[in-house]
Amino acid sequence: MSQRSEDRVSAFLPLPLPVFHMLLALSEGERHGYFLKREILRRTGGKLNLGSGALYGSIGRMLEQGLIEESGDRPDPHLDDQRRRYYRITALGRRVAQAEAVRLQKLVRLAEGSLGIPELA
Amino acid sequence: MPDPRRFYRLLLRLYPARFREEFESPLEGQFADDYRDTAGRAARAAFWLHALRDLAVSIPRELLHELVQDLRYAARTYRRRALAAALALASLSLAIGATTGVFSVVNALLLRALPFREPDRLVQLANFDRFAIEVSQRSKFYGWRGQARYWQDAAAYHSSQMNLMRGGQAVRVNVTQTSASFFTALGTEMQTGRGFAADEDVPGADVVAVIGYGAWQQLFGGDPRILGATIRVSGSPLTVVGVAPPGFDYPGKTAIWAPTYFDRDRLRTSNAHQSVGAFGRLAPGTNLPRAAAMYQAELQRQDPRAFRKDPAYRPRLISLQEQLAGSARQASLVLLAMGAFVLLIACAGVAQLLLSRITERAPELAIRAALGASRARLVQQLITESVALTLAAAAAGMVVAHWACRLAATVQPSSLLSTQRYTVLDWRVLVFAGALAVLSGLVFGVLPAVLIGRTLRTHAGASSGAVRMRGALLALQTALAVVLVAGALSMGGAFLKLAGTDLGLRTRNVATLTVSLDGTREEPDAQARQYYQQALDRLRAVPGVESAGAADYLPLVSTATYGYALVLDSGEKAGGVPMVVSTGYFAATGTSLVAGRDFTEADGAGSPHVAIVNEEYARATRAGGGIVGHKISSPFAPPDDKPFTIVGVVRNTRFSPASEVESQFYFPVAQTVPSFATFVVRVRGNPEGMLPALRDALRQVDTQVPVYEVMTLDGRLRERLARPRFYTTAILFFSGFATLLAITGAYGAASYSIARRTHELGVRLAVGATAQGLRGMLLRQCTLPVAAGMLAGVAAAGALGRFLQHLVSSVQATNLAICAAAALALAIAVAAAVWNATGRILRMDPATVLRAE
Repeated sequence: MSQRSEDRVSAFLPLPLPVFHMLLALSEGERHGYFLKREILRRTGGKLNLGSGALYGSIGRMLEQGLIEESGDRPDPHLDDQRRRYYRITALGRRVAQAEAVRLQKLVRLAEGSLGIPELA
Repeated sequence: MPDPRRFYRLLLRLYPARFREEFESPLEGQFADDYRDTAGRAARAAFWLHALRDLAVSIPRELLHELVQDLRYAARTYRRRALAAALALASLSLAIGATTGVFSVVNALLLRALPFREPDRLVQLANFDRFAIEVSQRSKFYGWRGQARYWQDAAAYHSSQMNLMRGGQAVRVNVTQTSASFFTALGTEMQTGRGFAADEDVPGADVVAVIGYGAWQQLFGGDPRILGATIRVSGSPLTVVGVAPPGFDYPGKTAIWAPTYFDRDRLRTSNAHQSVGAFGRLAPGTNLPRAAAMYQAELQRQDPRAFRKDPAYRPRLISLQEQLAGSARQASLVLLAMGAFVLLIACAGVAQLLLSRITERAPELAIRAALGASRARLVQQLITESVALTLAAAAAGMVVAHWACRLAATVQPSSLLSTQRYTVLDWRVLVFAGALAVLSGLVFGVLPAVLIGRTLRTHAGASSGAVRMRGALLALQTALAVVLVAGALSMGGAFLKLAGTDLGLRTRNVATLTVSLDGTREEPDAQARQYYQQALDRLRAVPGVESAGAADYLPLVSTATYGYALVLDSGEKAGGVPMVVSTGYFAATGTSLVAGRDFTEADGAGSPHVAIVNEEYARATRAGGGIVGHKISSPFAPPDDKPFTIVGVVRNTRFSPASEVESQFYFPVAQTVPSFATFVVRVRGNPEGMLPALRDALRQVDTQVPVYEVMTLDGRLRERLARPRFYTTAILFFSGFATLLAITGAYGAASYSIARRTHELGVRLAVGATAQGLRGMLLRQCTLPVAAGMLAGVAAAGALGRFLQHLVSSVQATNLAICAAAALALAIAVAAAVWNATGRILRMDPATVLRAE
């Protein structure tokens, strides 16, 4: 990876929590906004309940930043609400999410070294 | 309960356009799904709470986000068209600045509250001097105040300059003699001490006085022992009982108030600067129109003749604020209108700029529309662009406004200096500038935005609509420019005429100095006669002095305020203005003697009474050149009064450039001794440098006599012309600016039209049209809206011309010839601009043009 694209990726860090969650969810496949909202709620155990406005505000910014893009493909119309828009993660988005994960990992290691983290039950 | 989804959809409208376009339907969908899944009253309430909190956070964030994006985009587009944008910005800042500057003056004069208690209940009796005679006695005045039900209180005053003695030296101060009700009617509390008691204006009572805060500080060093102290004004002792609050100097920079309005002979006032007035405080439950009607009815009963007079001199009630604003009020309002005109022209220019952006981007817009870009989004972008431009212009315009305020303060000072200061730092002014900017940004951003709808509907580009709108904007610019240019031509003409008026005096190399003997040891006739003689001798002895004289009412110093008729021994009589002058006066002012002789030292107290008249009196009495040797007398003179023998005739002089030539009679100082005079000293070289020496020479005669208003006659003339010059410069500036904008507008329209029709022009050239022919065609097409605008402009200029008389009174209502001249001048300029812009056609090669397509 060139230095420039490295810089470009690190400019996004640290990622806001909802953005990181959305990128993680999208790395598993194309999703629509409502799914993302539900998924984040599930993954955080109900702690991160994004409002619709906040959700689409983040989506809008991620689209502008090129972290995600709108997907033209639609699943079977019978299963789908026409109003829904589907998004997929871009290569940049994937790299940014990875970089964030590495950053968090380093942070966790640092914490382990100095505090010692109790085993999760 | 209304459909919750409908309510939510309404809330979504608060989002900015781009966000809504992208996410409105998924947001609606999600809301509908979540709402369906939420059951129970408490859960629904929590759901709403969550949704509303989300909107409250996210809407402002998205608005800000899109605003920043739109602004960045606007900055980029403006940078691409830097010259056009700079012109638009400059024209808008000047226009908004000038308009805001004038508004600051209007604000200070008409909107800001006067420094009195409940100032909107204070009413001035305009043209009071006529009615003043009716109520000149104390009992009559208070009788009238008590019986007129519309008054809660009323006061009368009489202002003039007087000598205040300070340690052997006299200073000139403004003294207002009032009725005792003055301060109570205004509702003014003293800084220290008290105002006047109700019976302190009874003639013959011991005279008390209130001193102004500024005078107390400057003349008495703020000494608290001033209360109870005795000061001498015009030779009379006054006991100071109070000090007025800081900044209070009503009326007209008064330094001392004394309750001697009904005791006129108590304080000697003999100079030219006098004004008499009255005001009242409206009774609770009445208003100005009702009070005015009652006052009129009352006057009608008392003196029906008063109403047959010129309405301008009719006694009537006006608000005190209006009276204090005086002539500056009308002038400022006219200038405000002019500023608004220029602003409109500048805004039309900005609209042109935005329009050409739309046309340039028509293909792109059509594609985006086909791809589903909403109109709202494009409109939002355009309006952001224009409002950003106008707001930036308003910010820059505040500098212009500040400068305009300072200029206005020097030529058109307000009557209450301390509280009516012209400033842009006032919330009303700032709101005005902001509103002006936003409004013009909105109006002229929306206009081109309207076209977008058509562009998107027809997918064919905004061409025809844009052409029509450009034509309309150009016509508007032209019409307003014609009005302003026609106004400038009339004003310029009137001003030049005014400045070139023959005053009958040679004002160059003349110094003037005024003295007043009131209350000094020189006041008695014998002493005064001697004083003037010594003063003249001293002045003439100053090196560099050619001649010196003195007069009581010197032209350019005072205005001819009174006059009377004198009867010639032939029986003819003519009204005129009397003046008392010394020997050497005519030589010093450069007024030439037409017949007979000047006054000499021999025309003393005991010698036969003599007079000099001017040519106008000789003409009016049909005596002509043979008038010398005839006798004149006053029709009211007692029979044993000896008539005056006319010994000479001098040229006509005017009291000011704007005044008419009037009959004048001159009497020698030694025979009619005035208690004040202005010395006129003609010197070799620049009189400015000699003023201190001349002042010292006069002071040496008697240090008790104050010497004031020491300035050159040229300086006085400049002062007289300052206001008309300012107004003329202002409108010349406005009109020149408007012309420039109209010309650039026409140039822009022409080059735009060529750019748009390059292909068509290429085809025409290819099939044999000549370049000159095409230029002619374009010229005709571009000048059509200009011509339409001119017609409208000429009509408007004719209708608006009479308002200019509020600026320079000698202005003639704009006539058709002037309007036509303005229109013609503008037409030539516009045609030249268009012709210049179409020069590109000459270099057009049809082959290249068509190949490019």
